[in-house]
Amino acid sequence: MIGSQGRENKLNSIIRACRIIVKMNQASPERRKSDAMYYQMLASYYTRLLNAKKEGEFVAAHTVFFPAEILYAMDIVPMHTETTTWMIALFTGDSADMLSTGAELGLASEICSPHRGLAGAFALGVLPRPSVMLWSNLVCDNTAKSGELLMEINHCPGFFIDHPFQHSEDEEKYLLGELTDMIHFLEEQSGRKMDWDRLADIVARMDRQIKLLREINELRKAIPTPFSPQGFLQLLTIDYLFPGRPDAIEYLETLRDELAERVKAGQGAVSPERFRLMSLFIPPMYLIGFLEKISQEYGAVSVTEPFFTYWGEGDLDPAKPLESVAKKSYMIPEMRMYGPLDERALNGIVSCAEQYRVDGAVYYADVGCRHTCATIKLFKDVLDRIDVPVLTLDCDVVDPTITSEEDIRDKLEQFFELLEDRQ
Amino acid sequence: MFGWLCTYVPEEIIHAAGALPVRITGYSQEMELEDGTAYLYINSCSFSRSCLQLGLKGEYDYLDGVIGGSTCDGARRLFDLWRNYIDTPFYHVLTVPRKYTQPAHDLYNSQVAQFKTHLEEFLNIQITYESLYQSTGVYNEARALLKRLYELRKFDNPPITGAETMEVLNACFRMPKELFNEWLRSLLDELAISDNTHTSRARLMVVGSVMTNPEFIKSIEEQGGLVVTDELCTSTRYWSDPVVLDGDKTPVEAISRRYLNNFPCARMFPSDERFNRILDLARDFRVDGVISQIIRYCVPYAHDLPLLTERLKAQGIPTLALDVEYGTSGSGQIRTRVQAFLEMLEAKRR
Repeated sequence: MIGSQGRENKLNSIIRACRIIVKMNQASPERRKSDAMYYQMLASYYTRLLNAKKEGEFVAAHTVFFPAEILYAMDIVPMHTETTTWMIALFTGDSADMLSTGAELGLASEICSPHRGLAGAFALGVLPRPSVMLWSNLVCDNTAKSGELLMEINHCPGFFIDHPFQHSEDEEKYLLGELTDMIHFLEEQSGRKMDWDRLADIVARMDRQIKLLREINELRKAIPTPFSPQGFLQLLTIDYLFPGRPDAIEYLETLRDELAERVKAGQGAVSPERFRLMSLFIPPMYLIGFLEKISQEYGAVSVTEPFFTYWGEGDLDPAKPLESVAKKSYMIPEMRMYGPLDERALNGIVSCAEQYRVDGAVYYADVGCRHTCATIKLFKDVLDRIDVPVLTLDCDVVDPTITSEEDIRDKLEQFFELLEDRQ
Repeated sequence: MFGWLCTYVPEEIIHAAGALPVRITGYSQEMELEDGTAYLYINSCSFSRSCLQLGLKGEYDYLDGVIGGSTCDGARRLFDLWRNYIDTPFYHVLTVPRKYTQPAHDLYNSQVAQFKTHLEEFLNIQITYESLYQSTGVYNEARALLKRLYELRKFDNPPITGAETMEVLNACFRMPKELFNEWLRSLLDELAISDNTHTSRARLMVVGSVMTNPEFIKSIEEQGGLVVTDELCTSTRYWSDPVVLDGDKTPVEAISRRYLNNFPCARMFPSDERFNRILDLARDFRVDGVISQIIRYCVPYAHDLPLLTERLKAQGIPTLALDVEYGTSGSGQIRTRVQAFLEMLEAKRR
């Protein structure tokens, strides 16, 4: 097994970067207050994780779209695996050692980079070892298959949630059973009991969180739109790392008020706003700074993301906390991509494009993401019916060797020219 | 005729409806996949792209329906694209749990029952218990005959090669099962009195992604390796377990139990169920080495590879890992690597 050999824990880099950004934001009164809050939350999340073992806390590493509400209710420290690899790429720009170690473990290059990188990071000892590994099949084979190798690398037990593919009464019942079994597993492993009252409080806050996200989405419909070009990544992270957390509510309320003020003042995120874009899937994390800059330069802004910020309908009921956790998993925006790709997904895109009055869509075609890329043609055709052009950008969310900044700049510039001609 | 996309689709239900189940396998040799790639993108496995390519070209226009399962990303997206771009009268997709627990069996049983009802409505017929019992008998006989064929491969010098066995299996996916059973019985009779035997430099097992090209196996065997068994959804995993009919279960329950409990695909959890059955095969067929052939972007098998290699190594069985495209004939670089692997196995024996 590859050892840590004195390498610095990667979380330190994330924490340092977040703290610097917080200080810079606090020193710039023109910056959004919510922005500083966001980075402060990230710093706290990773600081708690970094110190967890030392302080005798129980750590659960978990994959994306996992019901972290349950972990918070049991006072278990969560570690969102994919987001952590994205954050390393975002704040350090360098995941090469993690990816090459993943390859040394025998993971093929076709396996998506967040998962290859994660296995490499654990093997290198540059991330804290979890007490348990938790994963599910939401939303692809990579999440479904990553857990067992990570259990072996970390010498820890694990639990796999088998999320049903479609949505029926039988399938909801099956999912509830899976969640119940996982709670029993966690109680056994951690020696902690599920606090149902606390879970009910968390569900109540999660319901509030979803409503706030819907309010924010409404504000983003304004012309000019008030939220920053790549700001949706913050909304995504809040949902992934902080479901039902009091600080998430505080952040979202602050952001909503800031955006409402901007809308009232007719103040856009880019000036002048020239291109309103739909973002399909996740941009390369190591290029976020560049994407923000080129968006400002060309007056382009992401106003809607059907699979990340556009929540499904419904409310959560704190009186039925576990049922609500199960229900939430069907309301997650990306769930439109799960199950058969039917009218839910296709109408969702068309509806977003129309409601948000988009000029074009950017499809971030992550080379390691099969279940998303297989929809490019389908989504392009659907958007073509309402005359919305789509740019497909081949990239990788973590691995910078797949595409260059120059290449992305060239393609975006050509796309902006096309959009301009159409105007 | 109804096309099915994955071994988790219960063929007996289609057969009991009086229809012919046909496995959709795309083109079993390498081919240009322009349309398949344009629709499914380059990072879908070449098996899915090959199936879609033929579908888009009208090669499956004879089908009355297509049935898929939520088995892997490639299969589910192939189903999505098929439904959106290829005009087939009937579509059905089954939720296939990834576990073997009782609630998973209950869920899958309800899925199979829903599929049966959907098919009955579409064909305007009733699929009776009697017809299900009869179809199960036909399919179990095919499984038993294939098992007998594989038993012959345990011999020191088997009378049939791995490539020839794959030809037999390819016929099994497409022919009416009653006719296939008749032909396989004749083949087994012939092999019983045949003095045809095959010697080898090493006894091999092929594991990994879907594969239907006998030329791939032939290229290994031309170099002196003999493929004596395999763990593919187009081979052992297709026929290995019978449907067990007993008084306690309805035929639908018995069928659904068999399909979920069958020799598992890499998609299932825990993976040790699959690994242990591979280790059993390696022992029973006295395998010297394992060739893992994984289609690029076949993620479930790619994730399993490090864990499987480690378990085989612990039993003293080396693994050759090949990244392939669906339909590869095993020429060129693959041939060179197989040659080196066989040399290594021979050196290990000395």
